[in-house]
Amino acid sequence: MAISDLISFFREDLFFSDFKAKTKAAALNQLTEKFVDAGIVKNKELVAEMLQRRESIGSTGIGKGIAVPHGRTTAAPNLTIAFAKMGSGIDWDSMDGNPVHLIFLVIAPPFEENNLYLPVLGRLVELLSNESNRNQLNEVSSFEEFTEILTQ
Amino acid sequence: MKNELENLVALQDLDLMIKELKEVEQLGFEVKSEGSETLKKARKEMIAKIHKPLLGNYERLRKRYKRAIVPIKDDKCLGCFMKLPTYLLTHMKRDEQVITCEGCGRILYWLN
Repeated sequence: MAISDLISFFREDLFFSDFKAKTKAAALNQLTEKFVDAGIVKNKELVAEMLQRRESIGSTGIGKGIAVPHGRTTAAPNLTIAFAKMGSGIDWDSMDGNPVHLIFLVIAPPFEENNLYLPVLGRLVELLSNESNRNQLNEVSSFEEFTEILTQ
Repeated sequence: MKNELENLVALQDLDLMIKELKEVEQLGFEVKSEGSETLKKARKEMIAKIHKPLLGNYERLRKRYKRAIVPIKDDKCLGCFMKLPTYLLTHMKRDEQVITCEGCGRILYWLN
């Protein structure tokens, strides 16, 4: 799986270039709500519970201002990723202690046809380990620009 | 407060998290040393909320299939793809009860 293949999991209605949240819990709650608004998940409570539980066993803040909260839930029909960029960073209890500005929220069903959940997480980590990609993502303002970064 | 089906769904989600913990850690994500124990403790608390016969059925199905609870899509069980009878769908929608597929026995979950 190539990094450019990640594009198919993002949606314009789950792309937020000016996202605002004061805490990690609020950010997760608001983004989960967006999944409900987008008609992807019906049961917000189940998704929120799964995400909170994941955070309880280790932060999904991978450092350099990025968080990749993730999990599988029976309540999700497809593997979907939301992107949120925040002007003001928030504490995510990250590995390096830095505040988070970019959030990639990955929600997947228990088993997908091609079993792409772990490969998708791996490609995301690879994408975000590149400084140039991070810099560009921190400046992104439209979904078009965003997809261009992923196809480079 | 969650209903019985939602408790079962939350249990399946938790079981998946426990199963993939090591793989997620290998990708570079932080997993605390006590992470596995924390999840197992959460599982114990969760199963206490589920009626024993239901839990027993879930555990049996989990051993037999990769997933014990499957969604319904286009009125079909996504475990065995059998078309579900109308009365079952109506009953499930109306009562939000735990319903199993007549073909494969998996627990059914309505996604939307």
